Amino acid sequence: MDANSFDAIVVGTGMSGGWAAKELTEKGLKTLVLDRGRMVKHGEYPTATTDPWDLPYGNRITQEARHRKPVQTRSTYPTPANTHWFVDDLDNPYTEVNRFDWIRGYHVGGRSLMWARQSYRFSPMDFEANAKEGIGTPWPVTYDEIAPWYDYVETFAGISGSLEGMATLPDGKFLPPMDLNCVEIDFQKRIADKMGRKLIIGRVANLTAPLTHKESPQRGTCQYRNLCIRGCPYGGYFSSVSATLPSAERTGNMTLLANKIAYELIYDNDKGKATGVRVLDAESGAQTDYFAKVIFLCASTLGSTYIMLNSISSRFPNGFGNDSGELGHNLVDHLKAPGVNATVDGFMDVAYTGRRANGYYIPRYRNVGKDKRSYLRGFGYQGRASRSGSGRFNRSALIGAELKEALKEPGPWTVNASSFGEILPNHLNHATIDRSRKDKYGLPVLKIDALLRENELAMQKDMVNDAIEMFEAAGYKDVKVGDDKYAMGLSIHEAGAARMGVDPKTSVLNKYNQVHACKNVFVTDGSFMASSACQNPSLTYMAFTARAADHAVNELKKGNL
Amino acid sequence: MSELNDDGSEMLRRREVLRRAAWLLGSAVSAPAALAILQGCSRQEPGEIKAEWVPEFLQAREVAIVAAVVDIMIPKTDTSGALDAGVPAFIDTALVALYPQADRERFRVGVAAFSDAAKAHGAGQPFPEQKPEARVAFVKQVLETALEQDLPDKPFILVTRELALLGYLNSQVGISENMEYVRVPTAFHACVPLSQMKKHVYWE
Repeated sequence: MDANSFDAIVVGTGMSGGWAAKELTEKGLKTLVLDRGRMVKHGEYPTATTDPWDLPYGNRITQEARHRKPVQTRSTYPTPANTHWFVDDLDNPYTEVNRFDWIRGYHVGGRSLMWARQSYRFSPMDFEANAKEGIGTPWPVTYDEIAPWYDYVETFAGISGSLEGMATLPDGKFLPPMDLNCVEIDFQKRIADKMGRKLIIGRVANLTAPLTHKESPQRGTCQYRNLCIRGCPYGGYFSSVSATLPSAERTGNMTLLANKIAYELIYDNDKGKATGVRVLDAESGAQTDYFAKVIFLCASTLGSTYIMLNSISSRFPNGFGNDSGELGHNLVDHLKAPGVNATVDGFMDVAYTGRRANGYYIPRYRNVGKDKRSYLRGFGYQGRASRSGSGRFNRSALIGAELKEALKEPGPWTVNASSFGEILPNHLNHATIDRSRKDKYGLPVLKIDALLRENELAMQKDMVNDAIEMFEAAGYKDVKVGDDKYAMGLSIHEAGAARMGVDPKTSVLNKYNQVHACKNVFVTDGSFMASSACQNPSLTYMAFTARAADHAVNELKKGNL
Repeated sequence: MSELNDDGSEMLRRREVLRRAAWLLGSAVSAPAALAILQGCSRQEPGEIKAEWVPEFLQAREVAIVAAVVDIMIPKTDTSGALDAGVPAFIDTALVALYPQADRERFRVGVAAFSDAAKAHGAGQPFPEQKPEARVAFVKQVLETALEQDLPDKPFILVTRELALLGYLNSQVGISENMEYVRVPTAFHACVPLSQMKKHVYWE
């Protein structure tokens, strides 16, 4: 075996790549793990312990950052405290036929470092919907098949949450739930009594208690600093950097290389297999081929789609494994609508201490049971109640000593709700390669063409109106709708461009995330999703990745790959 | 525009800035101490001040107006004020880093307009030299008018207020003297009576 040959190659180190690296190395495969960005090791989080006064500009995003990162700053996440995690858009261009917000983190750990950590299972309803409604293609996997893998990844990652016994949002292997605050409990009671709706504490990948296993000695419990997006030196939340990559490292089977841009799969016509990946060094520009028996693409939905679309051979003239013509198509995200907030009277004598990196969750209730809307599927709400901060004084006439006294008091309670809704898979929403444009590495760029359609536009109205209705039913005042504008991508839940399915004529991957037409290539990031439900997707990527890795090793042992 | 500028030149000399700053803060404060206060020196020992603060965007006479306004909005009381927290310097750097050129220029026009209006209102006396009560009353009046008008382009007084609050509440003195800042809370307590909390907790 030469220096560039391995048992397995994993492309990408985000949520899925970290899991693939851990599972494959723990099962004994010598595994090359590649990331296109710089190295990040657990603990190397430059701003993780920076006090607010040591951050520049009150931690507001600068004009310079807006100039270098015009797409990334369409989202509200980048600040001087974390902007190093967001890609430079000028160096990493893509073509938008319609506005599509591609928010990316190019470094080891990828977006698993920056994620919001909300972790929900899909339910039987979610896996059955496509088949029942004739939308997209049927899922080739049932809830019961994936449930043990949810158990497995939840246990390792450490997900905190409450057991609720809901069919639409299955319980998992949870660490103790975080607490709802007084006003959230009030809201919970009021919407349960008046509307029969359920509100629960968010299920979040933060350790509310020590893990139930000994595999991650580098991880401690959540310290309630709510600075997760900067990286957590305590290992209080799950990321590839804090959890899966250290496990892979400890096996001695991982070779992790940063700054390696995989841009093409190498296909051997005679063997009918992929033999490796073609890679550019991001710093030197040198090109290298790496070889392996099995390849996991975990480069993110659009990243993996790009690599496949860019892998042209006589066998696959339209992109790797693209016999169906569906590669790049059926791209989805989670639908957002403007957020809604309200003021809550009373509770002025209570507050909370510690900074909870979590909020409440209202699981989907639309088109569930007897509820029937003009559109298909539904949405969930995430939000929190809090005492308002100093922002309330930006538009107040208080000055001087009076203002300073007021600053020492917490403001009135406010409550907000934002929503994630399901976007239906649609062949028209797709990505291709724009060969008329090249990035700084000389690679052609991705071109994205996706729009919201009728179902989404109808759902968006409910997403706003239902929130208003709930706050009004709860008796809250001053209900206001935000002016945030959503375009596809902004939820950072892009998925579906290489969907899995039973039929190779209509799908790219089989039920084990294997390319139908080339079984030694697995794609386990969001691109496999046949539909996206409305729950945050990372937990599902983890579960499918672990399952796919298990299948890959079994198939290798049987000599099937 | 040149009410602080005795010799009529475009820029005040540095010592004039310092004289004004010292004056704003009370005549007993020496010029170097005043400079330190304008640039924010909460963690510096006296005598440690080395570099001169040279504003990046604001001119000296504009600094004097901004400093006078933020001192009225967030004065020193039992806790430090905006000047102790270095808010004028914060505003100068924030204007450069956070705002597009057009907004920055609009701020400059706004300072001048404020200064002219204040002078007219004060029978020809420059704003920083007016009596404290007169200055407070004028700031209050301009602020209330701006809030009522609610113009789409935020006027000088509201930008200054927002930046003053941002700078002050992100400064070490602003946080540590007004709030209970716990670097590592270790726990979340969801419903705590205010009576059991020492101070307004830092949550942002």
